[in-house]
Amino acid sequence: MTDVEMKPADKANDEKKKEDDKTTLPPPPTPVEEIKSNTTLIERAVSTLEPRFTNRVLRTLTALRKRVDDTVLRTAIEELYGKGDRPVKKTLLSWLPTGPITTDHSMEVDLSDKSDAPEPVPEAEIYIRLLMLHHLLKEEDTQSKALELAHETVEKMQALNRRSMDAIAAKIWFAVDRAYDLAGELADARPLFLAAQRTASLRHDDEAQAALINCLLRSYIQYNLYDQADKLVSKTTFPVSASNAQYARYHFYLGRIRAVQLNYTEAHTNLQQAIRRAPAAKVAPGFYQAVHKYFVVVELLMGDIPDRSLFRHVVLEKALIAYFDIVKAVRTGSLSQFQTTLSKHADQFEEDNTYTLIVRLRQNVIKTGIRRLSLSYSRISLRDICVKLHLDSEEDAEYIVGKAIRDGVIEGRIVHEKGWMECGTQKSGYGPEVSEVFGRRIAFCLDLHNQSVKAMRYPLNAHRKELAAAEGAREREKELAKEIQDGDLDDEDLGGGDF
Amino acid sequence: MASQLKTLYEELQRAFYAQPSSDLKKCAAVLTQLKIGLIQAGLLLPQGNVNLGDLVVARDILEIGAFSSIRSQDVPSFDRYFSQLQTFYIDYSSSLPPSKREYPIRGLNLVRLLTQNRIADFHTTLENLPADVIAENPFIRHPVNLERWLMEGSYSKVWNAREEAPAEEYKFFVDSLMGTIRNEIASCEEAAYESLPLKDAATLLFFTNQSDLLKYAQNRGWEVNLTASTITFAKKGEEKMEIPKQRLIAASLAYARELEQIV
Repeated sequence: MTDVEMKPADKANDEKKKEDDKTTLPPPPTPVEEIKSNTTLIERAVSTLEPRFTNRVLRTLTALRKRVDDTVLRTAIEELYGKGDRPVKKTLLSWLPTGPITTDHSMEVDLSDKSDAPEPVPEAEIYIRLLMLHHLLKEEDTQSKALELAHETVEKMQALNRRSMDAIAAKIWFAVDRAYDLAGELADARPLFLAAQRTASLRHDDEAQAALINCLLRSYIQYNLYDQADKLVSKTTFPVSASNAQYARYHFYLGRIRAVQLNYTEAHTNLQQAIRRAPAAKVAPGFYQAVHKYFVVVELLMGDIPDRSLFRHVVLEKALIAYFDIVKAVRTGSLSQFQTTLSKHADQFEEDNTYTLIVRLRQNVIKTGIRRLSLSYSRISLRDICVKLHLDSEEDAEYIVGKAIRDGVIEGRIVHEKGWMECGTQKSGYGPEVSEVFGRRIAFCLDLHNQSVKAMRYPLNAHRKELAAAEGAREREKELAKEIQDGDLDDEDLGGGDF
Repeated sequence: MASQLKTLYEELQRAFYAQPSSDLKKCAAVLTQLKIGLIQAGLLLPQGNVNLGDLVVARDILEIGAFSSIRSQDVPSFDRYFSQLQTFYIDYSSSLPPSKREYPIRGLNLVRLLTQNRIADFHTTLENLPADVIAENPFIRHPVNLERWLMEGSYSKVWNAREEAPAEEYKFFVDSLMGTIRNEIASCEEAAYESLPLKDAATLLFFTNQSDLLKYAQNRGWEVNLTASTITFAKKGEEKMEIPKQRLIAASLAYARELEQIV
């Protein structure tokens, strides 16, 4: 297994550790130093063909990009590329506004040393560009500049075509997507992404492929083109080795597509996966909230009521207030309460893109209402059903109850002549389905076990030592056996021996 | 735009707007030639920068094609025209002036999906439309309401709405839609009633005369008692609960194998 699998846990931990380090350790590494050490790591990754080091660098990206500014980037570039007037350095610097360079003494020394040092590998250049992109995207007035830089970087990346660059390239693609998004031209980026996706899949560039598929899905869903998004999903295979963050995103989009297509079971599984794969709630609260909004709605659409504890979660409590109201309305089966809640929070639902899904809940409200009635009455007239559920006419009530019986929502039958509904007893909930559910859970646990075994990493050659020890033991045993055979071992030895 | 295309377009308009009813045969013939012309001019699936005036004409031609295929009851052909129109409605929506036929055609497409019981596609298509259009536009609201009633089971509302179609073309779908809901109701009745008087069954199924009902009952295999004038629905016997041996054995073997790996 590659390092990628381990990333999520590490990522969160690393970041936390980093944060801790920063607060506790007296001299925290300055951003410039960090960039420099990162480029060294990237160089090592390239020279040893070990993607692990690159991944380690990228893990620090989230924390580092917050501390980067013009001066930091400028200084870092100056230090990395030395005093000479190299073309790469020139182009890189042209993206930054001119300003004074912070001069400290160690740097002076560095510069004089490095004036004829070899140029850093192209991967390092792309990494610097990545940092610059994120930096430019932070400010609103530099965003158009970021888009230009993104274009140039992509061209450069494609011209270089180096496999050791894949991991950084994936991050670049994400930044490109963001640049387009902020410029409000997400739709225009599609041809570029589609072409890049094809290339990436041909080159088995898993990281970039995962990032690009997500970018495309995002762009389709942004414009409500669920049909195209669905086609993209069916035509591509999401790389298995993708990082957890990408997986979480992918599952989220897939869940949304399936929910729109009324395939709630699959939507539920996908959204659940997205929640499980997502970074911890406090680290990425936005994603966590967005997924949960859909999760609650889909659970309601499936006829389940979400856990109460969900709405007390620190991160979710505020964001899910509107959804909590909807849940309450569905749970009581009151159509009027549902309608008022819906109109009250309509703006928020539309903003969250869940409005059309929530409108579909209307039938669930009716179903819940009928189920409650069927549980509390053994016989109830259609007229009363009509009044209690706020239906328009008795005629409607008859059809609706009929449909509920056919769909298996309630057990019972209608006596048309008398105009009432007779409710049967509820079936006992024990049958073959139970073993099926049980089987599914066992399968899940076993799969989890197998996956975690697969995801373990072992230090290189660590087994050699053990192997050598085992070899030695076997050797001794053999000798011993031989000695016994030869009869060299006499009673004395045995009595006083170590064996 | 080539002059030949222009004359054909005028011919198509004449045939389509002819009074009292459009000449559908002529339309179909001219449309075939026009489509070839459009392909040659690169307007059927426009790419890049094309003259906006030409695009409007191309859209108009395709819209007439969509309408005339509905009028001649050719649903697959409507489907093709609709997917070709998608480019104009979605990708060029910002640069082209809006077409007054856009929402009727979109609405028709929604009704078509409903009659074919493609509810998932119905919702996917609906997502393309902004919320205020769904709520306000009569052409879209009609199919949306139909779907909601169908899902709830308010079949009588669907039945009553069949006359309220916002455009003539919607009525072409009414018959098949009524067939769909009649089957839905019938399957509900089978589950919900033991027996029904003939008269009530006829009202529930929206039949106006008894012979239609009897024919329908025969098709579905219902027992009709003419002397008592009732319909008895065959109760499906209690489903026997069988132990799924094969599956259980397979599952147990799988557990054994997995456990062996762990231990």
